[in-house]
Amino acid sequence: MKFEPLKLNKNEFQSFLKELAKDHDLFAPVRLAEGVSVYRRIDSTDEIDLDAFNPQKPLKELFFPQSEAMLRFEKVENRHRVTSADQIKKPRVVLGARACDIQAVSILDDVFLGKEYTDVYFLKKRQSTTLIAFACNSPLSTCFCASTGGGPFDRKGSDLFFIDLGESYLVEPLTDKGKALTQSTLFVKASQHDIAFASELEKKAVQKTDASLPMEGIEKKLDQLMESRFWDRVHEKCIGCGVCTFLCPTCHCFDIVDEAVNEQGQRVRNWDTCLSSLYSLETSGHNPRPSGRERTRQRVMHKFNYFPKNFKKIACVGCGRCIIYCPVNFDIRQVIQDAQKGEVSKNP
Amino acid sequence: MKNPYLPIPMVVKKACVETSDRMLRTLELGFENEEDEKAFQFIPGQFCELSLFGKGEAPFGIASSPTEKGTLKFTINKAGVVTTALHQVEEGTPIGIRGPLGNGYPIERFEGKNILVIGGGFAFTTLRSLIVYLLQPQNRSKVKDITVIYGARMPGLLLYKQELEAWTKTNDLKLVVTVDAGDKDWKGKVGLVPNVLEEVAPASENTYAVICGPPVMIKFTFPKLEALKFPYERIYTSLEKRMKCGIGKCGRCNIGHLYVCKDGPVFSYDQLAILPKDY
Amino acid sequence: MVQKKLREKAKELLSKKEVDLIIGFGEGSQPLRATPVFVRTPEEADRLVWNSFCENNLATYLHKFNRFKVGIVVKGCDARSVTALALEKRFKPEQIVLIGIPCQRMIDRKKLKKAVKGEIVKVREEGDKIIVSAEDGEVVLRRDDFLYPLCKACTHRNPVQETLLVGDRVEEAALTGPNPEAREFEKKSPEERWAFFEKETDRCIRCYACREACPMCYCTECFVDSSNPKWIEKSLSPSDLQFYHIVRAYHQTGRCTNCGACERACPMDIRLTYLTQKLNQEVEELFQFETGVDPGALPPLSTYKADDPQEFIK
Repeated sequence: MKFEPLKLNKNEFQSFLKELAKDHDLFAPVRLAEGVSVYRRIDSTDEIDLDAFNPQKPLKELFFPQSEAMLRFEKVENRHRVTSADQIKKPRVVLGARACDIQAVSILDDVFLGKEYTDVYFLKKRQSTTLIAFACNSPLSTCFCASTGGGPFDRKGSDLFFIDLGESYLVEPLTDKGKALTQSTLFVKASQHDIAFASELEKKAVQKTDASLPMEGIEKKLDQLMESRFWDRVHEKCIGCGVCTFLCPTCHCFDIVDEAVNEQGQRVRNWDTCLSSLYSLETSGHNPRPSGRERTRQRVMHKFNYFPKNFKKIACVGCGRCIIYCPVNFDIRQVIQDAQKGEVSKNP
Repeated sequence: MKNPYLPIPMVVKKACVETSDRMLRTLELGFENEEDEKAFQFIPGQFCELSLFGKGEAPFGIASSPTEKGTLKFTINKAGVVTTALHQVEEGTPIGIRGPLGNGYPIERFEGKNILVIGGGFAFTTLRSLIVYLLQPQNRSKVKDITVIYGARMPGLLLYKQELEAWTKTNDLKLVVTVDAGDKDWKGKVGLVPNVLEEVAPASENTYAVICGPPVMIKFTFPKLEALKFPYERIYTSLEKRMKCGIGKCGRCNIGHLYVCKDGPVFSYDQLAILPKDY
Repeated sequence: MVQKKLREKAKELLSKKEVDLIIGFGEGSQPLRATPVFVRTPEEADRLVWNSFCENNLATYLHKFNRFKVGIVVKGCDARSVTALALEKRFKPEQIVLIGIPCQRMIDRKKLKKAVKGEIVKVREEGDKIIVSAEDGEVVLRRDDFLYPLCKACTHRNPVQETLLVGDRVEEAALTGPNPEAREFEKKSPEERWAFFEKETDRCIRCYACREACPMCYCTECFVDSSNPKWIEKSLSPSDLQFYHIVRAYHQTGRCTNCGACERACPMDIRLTYLTQKLNQEVEELFQFETGVDPGALPPLSTYKADDPQEFIK
């Protein structure tokens, strides 16, 4: 670590946010209903839902919004005046992001910031954002970040790392960007005791997360299962909604549509889901993925086989949202275990 | 930083219906800005996303060759919302393109080799680009024999009739045009493409085959290519899949780990052999 | 025990080859969950479970298996959905064997989660009590406090149809009409009710879990996906979100069985059943019709009678 860890008392947290809000747009989990939160821009610091463990809608929303107007156009004298809506007006700070979601955004960097084509919308948001991560002291039983190369206290990708010590936060600046946010006198040097306590919390949290999922060699295993009857059983209970794909921090499929009247309007991109029966339907009526079998296979293969082939990493961060929110309790951990064995187990 | 979603402004210079059923229409587009025209470098086999603001975008293979300067040709099959709108644009309509996208045909590999082109129906668009390109004297000298077999269901459904007419008169290639069923004016060959291929029996040694057509044609023609001893790595095809962004980000057009828009649309059969049959 | 009888019945059906497969519930991968299972051999029948978390309406899978002879585990509401689907000719009635279970009412797992500090790691039911193990140790709760509101108001807990009944019939509630929550809601002014609806639908993420979980939503092209004509955009504008939910509720009128699958599936906890309940209530009042109770009664909004009530036409 190149910067010394600091400490911020919890009763100073609001003041810290107010200071940040002077020059930054702040984004944090906001409660929409009991037990339901999303990342939103906050106008007042009391809007933050710090009890939200991991908001339903993942961090990717702040870099790749569910619905985003990319181009605005209008017809002027038989030509189109087109403007791109990619400007970011104020630098942004995100609070309360979890390590899994941050790891996921780094995975999305591979998709959107490719060598040949750069998605300017994603890039500008990435460049103008400082990420303040919150460590997970109490991972859930559905958290398997430790099996996907991450962990509840994983610091990769964050600029500033907050650890909840109870009455205060231990604050680790990890990058220059993060350090720049800790210039305020509200921060004091962390004591050896604070650091030791944080270390204890880390140990406990790491123990709680599931590192047992057999990810080793999953790509090769899935290669062998491509045409297998394995998928006949795996897909059965999936009802083909979009919950897992929309709440997944690494899923990135989108659709582009024009919303306009008389050639005036906007070109919008919206999240889409490969599990929808219409996703790959061609206008001719031909559908290369005609049933849930092919679509479920596509989802699993993309995350654990196709993506690794292109980018040498799996497109899953073990956040567990797909497991918690699936209406029929489709469990990706079970699929991975079964895939490693080569057959669907008789016990769910 | 170039925004890859921002279309290049173009204008419709010419529009004409290609086929007797009026489902295929060719648009010739000109660039609004000279610097866009200069910057637009492409090879046969690549495609563009045509953009109609208010309607949307759709991908089309570039039918004109890079050797035909000044305008770009696209042939549109009327099928859905965007293509129906493209069938209604007139000369002077502003239109956008994003491109050139995709990988194009492996022109460098063709040097010193014989080329066999097999096309069916309205999949002939990028093949036109390839043939016109190869017929240009500078390029023609780089390849050996060129054989083209092109079939359609009926004479009226053949694309690029003027070009076909011109190609029958040149010695630079051997052209065999066939139809599944003739009409009273048709004096040419009648027969299905796979059977015509068997008849023509081009030599496979030192030859690259490029085949584009409807799935049913490919299904029956491919075994004939195998019977003629064409190895998988020398059979190329251009695939189509539902696309949106065209630049490998929206995830829609993947076949296994490859994206048809970015890693294709041109693939060799040995590439396809190890990919899932997701198309 | 119902579970034991269920497995025995399943084994019997499968070994006699009276069905090709049985759709039922199996053990979930987390506490508070059960998951749909598809059992094809007598040995696999031991995967079937029955508990208060068997909250899905399995009739939604019948569309996928409509070329097979299928045994399906149904609660009272689910059985009515099957009848309604048979009326809509989604399959031939002889293809389906209903394995009916008089319902003990399902537990609202989301409400249970919120009542306890930390994550629930274990749950067990003992009579009218739920014993939950979480962060602060074991907590004993009253089962009645954690039932789904629709379950509390249910008057068809016993499957009304001819079914292979597993378990003893339960006494139907004397309640008629909507549950107490809905009754309170009806007392609000139209402005208050609209504000509620607006707030709820505002957080919709267009995942369509509600639509896919519902057995009555089976259109190959849903109105939201139609591009020509385009009825609705695909973004998150509030008017589009409201439009989607209103129209979907209307498409359910006279077909919905109040099973609650839509609300249970929603990841954003949108209270969808306020709409559908109200519409079902109106159908009952106007047409004296309850979905799926009488296998001969056609849905009122799909049929026309010369003496249909029309006082609303002024």
